[in-house]
Amino acid sequence: MRTRPTVWSLTLWLLAALLVLFVAGPLLRLLLHSSPASLGAALRDRELVASISLTVIAASAATALSLVLGVPLAYVLARAQFRGRRIIEGIVELPVVVPHPVAGIALLLFLGRQSPLGTTLARLGLEVVNHVPGIIAGMLFVSAPLVVSAAREAFRSVDPKLERVARTLGDSGWSAFRRVTLPLAGRGVLAGAVLGWARSVSEFGSIVILTYNPKVASILIYDRFTLFGLPAAIPAAAVLLILALGVFLLVQLLAPERSRAR
Amino acid sequence: MIRLEGVTIRIGRFALQDISLEIPAGGYGLVIGPTGSGKTTLLEAIAGHTALRAGRILLREREVSRAAPEERGIGFVYQHYHLFPHLSVAENIGYGIRGTSEEGSAKRVQELAEQLRLTTLLERGVLGLSGGEQQRVALARALAPRPTILLLDEPFAAVDPATRRSLRRELRDLHEREGITTLQVTHDFEDAMRLGDVVAVLADGRIVQSGSPESVFRFPSSVFVAEFIGTGTVLRGTVERSSEPDPATGRFAGVFRAASLELEVVAEREGNAYAVLRPADLLLSRGTAPGPAPRNRFTAVVTRLERESAVAHVYLDVRGTTLLATVMSSTAEELGLAPGQPIGVAIKATAIHLI
Repeated sequence: MRTRPTVWSLTLWLLAALLVLFVAGPLLRLLLHSSPASLGAALRDRELVASISLTVIAASAATALSLVLGVPLAYVLARAQFRGRRIIEGIVELPVVVPHPVAGIALLLFLGRQSPLGTTLARLGLEVVNHVPGIIAGMLFVSAPLVVSAAREAFRSVDPKLERVARTLGDSGWSAFRRVTLPLAGRGVLAGAVLGWARSVSEFGSIVILTYNPKVASILIYDRFTLFGLPAAIPAAAVLLILALGVFLLVQLLAPERSRAR
Repeated sequence: MIRLEGVTIRIGRFALQDISLEIPAGGYGLVIGPTGSGKTTLLEAIAGHTALRAGRILLREREVSRAAPEERGIGFVYQHYHLFPHLSVAENIGYGIRGTSEEGSAKRVQELAEQLRLTTLLERGVLGLSGGEQQRVALARALAPRPTILLLDEPFAAVDPATRRSLRRELRDLHEREGITTLQVTHDFEDAMRLGDVVAVLADGRIVQSGSPESVFRFPSSVFVAEFIGTGTVLRGTVERSSEPDPATGRFAGVFRAASLELEVVAEREGNAYAVLRPADLLLSRGTAPGPAPRNRFTAVVTRLERESAVAHVYLDVRGTTLLATVMSSTAEELGLAPGQPIGVAIKATAIHLI
């Protein structure tokens, strides 16, 4: 038999529903506002398709870099005990709290032509600012913390004694990582990578400062909104939203069972 | 052969200090100690997972103090088994088999599965296995690469008593059959009595006594060892000499006084001492105790009786001092032991161990 709702439980449900509505409402409104015809037209829009392709490619490159550099860092943070570990963890998570235009300006100063690193890279033929590498740098800066954080937690969830057993059974450190740790933590690492990729796709603040052109999807939408108004921006925004929702579903499918059960 | 020479390890505030121990080739050694005494750390150091601060580790006469774990040729079974959850039972067992064909590997897995009664489980995942099954899989996995040294970390701690008994038997059979030098850590002295050739008692990061299980049990070197391994009742008192010392041994007949109890003993020194009275050395009788003199004889009152399948533990009160005696269950029946009942107690002076 159901118990009678109390004022407390009603208030709880009401407040919770308001926030869910606030988040889901605008997204639903955007999707419903776009007719299949306008979405079809958007997909035939060459500039939009090129922009989304660039976004997907740059986000994939940023995610690949996050994995190559972030997985070793995550593993070290999960396993090694050393002085300064907390400081390194803090540095890696810093981009989460830095406003993205601030991140863009910081990256501009660090990688721009005026900086020693930017000058060296330009001499080597790698132009960053106002080029695709600038987009990738902005995306990497904001998405790497998510990848490192997810991978670190995934590695922490694997008992180090499993690796020790593998070592006594003849595995080298790398072999134990490849045969035991990675298969067990892989799902969590992959979920972090997908989340990082999605974060890269949605990045605007730092990229707008580093590389306005060529335009990634978020900048193209902003550009159309400021130049041509809301109706011109809606189809492009809806396409990007559908892409983001697809990634979100993928993350939900890849998330470790335990986190989903909680 | 496993030989530790002055091994010292520091992890945070905890330290294992100056550990020296030798298990001969094919021998079965046990390190026994309470939780937190450093038993697992010691095994991990032998396996190469923990760096030494000082000392040397020799396996099969070869120094391995700085060798990587995979170069040491050992099998390791952790207390909680640590089976690879993403692999089947067969894959777990075959994990460490190298340098052989797929057929050879499968044959070795099958051979171990038969020895350890795992053949019906080979294709199963490891997550649904019982504690005893997991233990046997972990053991098979450690043995599969044919190590010459086996390290066991509290292998019976997480299984029920019946499984523990059967695993103990299987382990002893396996050890005898394969001739693997084995070092097991445990907090249960019964493991040492049933399995070990050599036992070392570890306390606060140091070995406080080592030797054959029988000698450690009969002649504990400290109150800690006596109480931890459960040798028997430990009484605090003083020894007074009552005869001249034997010129050959320096030992003399004396009297040990502890609160209300006065016992004839054979001692090596006078003054403060602890007397250890082993439960099996206390003879209980109705009326006059049987057997030859000299004996300490006194009357006690039974305060509690704990029966196990073959033996009964009898708690006795002797004018305010509690003693523990162990008798066969049949003897307890014959004597009609029951709480509140007075009973005659006798113990040989030579059976009382003084610390």
